[in-house]
Amino acid sequence: MKKLRILLADDHTVMRTGLRALLERQGNIEIVAEAENGRQAVALCSSLAPEIAIMDVGMPMLNGIEATKALLKESPSTGVVMLSMHSDESYVIRSLQAGARGYLLKDSAASDLLSAIQAVSQGKSFFSPAIRRLLAEDYVRVLQQKGEVDSYELLTMREREILQLLAEGKTNKEVANALHISPYTVETHRSNILEKLGLHSPAELILYAVRKGIIR
Amino acid sequence: MVCSHGDPMEPDEPKTNGGAQAAGSSAYPGKGLGPRAALILGFSALLVLMVVLAVDSVRALHELETSTTQVRRDYLNRERALREIRGGIYDSGNLLREFADTEQSAETRNAYLAQLDDAKKRSTAAMRDCVRQSPQSLRGPLEKLSSQLDDYWRAADETLNEGAHKNYEARLRQAALTQRAAVLAITSEVSDVNELEFRQAEVDVSKVFAGSRQRLQGFAVLTVGVGFLLAISSILYILHLEKHAQERYHESERYRRELKALSKRLVEAQENERRAISRDLHDQIAQTLAALLMNIQSMTESRTNPDSLKRALQKIRLQAEECVQNVRNMALLLRPSMLDDLGLVAALEWQGREVSKRSGLVVDVIDNHFVDDLPDTYKTCIYRVVQEALHNCTAHARARHARVSLEEDSQHCILSITDDGVGFDPTRQRGMGLLGMQERVTQLGGTFAVESAPGKGTSIRVELPLAATTRSESYVS
Repeated sequence: MKKLRILLADDHTVMRTGLRALLERQGNIEIVAEAENGRQAVALCSSLAPEIAIMDVGMPMLNGIEATKALLKESPSTGVVMLSMHSDESYVIRSLQAGARGYLLKDSAASDLLSAIQAVSQGKSFFSPAIRRLLAEDYVRVLQQKGEVDSYELLTMREREILQLLAEGKTNKEVANALHISPYTVETHRSNILEKLGLHSPAELILYAVRKGIIR
Repeated sequence: MVCSHGDPMEPDEPKTNGGAQAAGSSAYPGKGLGPRAALILGFSALLVLMVVLAVDSVRALHELETSTTQVRRDYLNRERALREIRGGIYDSGNLLREFADTEQSAETRNAYLAQLDDAKKRSTAAMRDCVRQSPQSLRGPLEKLSSQLDDYWRAADETLNEGAHKNYEARLRQAALTQRAAVLAITSEVSDVNELEFRQAEVDVSKVFAGSRQRLQGFAVLTVGVGFLLAISSILYILHLEKHAQERYHESERYRRELKALSKRLVEAQENERRAISRDLHDQIAQTLAALLMNIQSMTESRTNPDSLKRALQKIRLQAEECVQNVRNMALLLRPSMLDDLGLVAALEWQGREVSKRSGLVVDVIDNHFVDDLPDTYKTCIYRVVQEALHNCTAHARARHARVSLEEDSQHCILSITDDGVGFDPTRQRGMGLLGMQERVTQLGGTFAVESAPGKGTSIRVELPLAATTRSESYVS
């Protein structure tokens, strides 16, 4: 069986060592490179094109978010898992906008990292349970404070179905296949969903799904 | 109420000088007819009055003197004329008497006639002078005198011309004497009238004198009054200026005190912060790490079964997680790494959410095409100002909703923070928080304005100048 090729980017050597030890114990994982700043990570990814890049958010030279943007331009097939100290949605949304598909808190990395790597390698998204909980709580609180109706109620059953599939990282075509409908119909549904929920990008759609607890 | 500060040490306000600190600016000359111009005008008027007073009194005295002299001269002239007339009459009487006593030759008669004619001419000339110089009131008695005089001379002439006959002497005496008595009576009457006239003229003069005295008195009273008024207004003006200067002094003194208090507070705040960090490090991190160490120690020493080992490890993991959480919170409090990682807008949004979580205040962060490329000092300044403002919203204003907006144009970065809280009067209350914000903004050359009134919410507006150079700095890092 082919090993999963992974790049580690973190400016703290202790963290990299810990992660390497954790991952190398798995038989099917190979750490192809380590980077200690954003620029190095981008350069290594463009030459090695690993399947997964595990990226620290706060790094010198180029931070993880900017590095993710640059890296995905060079090597679009790489799935990026962000590793962060921050549980705030600002980081999550920006990471998603940059193209990352997983977002993990460093303190739960040991337990969640393998699940994250697995999900992302299958083209899905993954978020730390703590993040999911925080985002969901925030969402409910903001709704209560502003006295607004949950816009999720506006969606039809079919739209909710499609929202879930899209948020899991599926393309229009994959969704169309799964539901036995035309990709154009999916596209129409997709723009209706974005409109109803007041969202503007795939990243926001994923964040929304996380907040609502639709995906995990 | 609006009040605005560019620099606390610079009392001249730039732009939005709404009302709070506008008091007292009207005292400055230069706007319209200032009190200084009014005073100058008043003093000039006073000077003019005094000159007029002096000129008028000199003129009045001169007039009085001339009219008194004139009156006296007229009187004396008339008296002299009367004396002439009387002299002529006496002379003619004597002549007639002598004529009657002497021998009646043609030669003597002619001589007497010539003498008589001379006396007549003198008295007539005097009479004419007297009539010419006399005022209206004397005309009546003088005309009477004149006609009587004419009668007398005619009678005297006739008497002389009749020539010698019986009783001539007696008749001559009779006629001359009768006429003479009448003329003398009239001259004495005229003299009386003249005297009266003189007194009247004197009374008139004194009336004129009284009139001018009254006018002078009026002027004098007016001058004194104006002088008094001017003195009072000068004193008031001086007092006002003095008060104003004192206010200015107190104001700058207050600013100085506030600045001093601010720097003291900053030092204190720094010290407090250090103390808090030190306490957190000691109480939370160090204690947790110590516990962790203890657990590891006991694990390495004991030879228990794998299950209890696993439980102990679980415990260690929990402790480590707690430790990480604490460190993260501390780091965030000191300086949100978000400011560096994600930029200002993200950091402000995060702050809004944090405040929201803690207090229930709904915070909206709005950025209108804000190109998040400010230099670090600007980002920090705006971040801290918003932090302090939101703190005020929750701690003092009891606001339910706050709105933070960021805008920028080619020259400025504009931050405004508005809440719907209880508000306050910025001219009276000005906490250290506001001063601290102002200080931060002033240091970057920006303007800081607070707009609030009790019950009206609070609005803070900050404008930071953006030089072309300040922006490029941020690209260096």
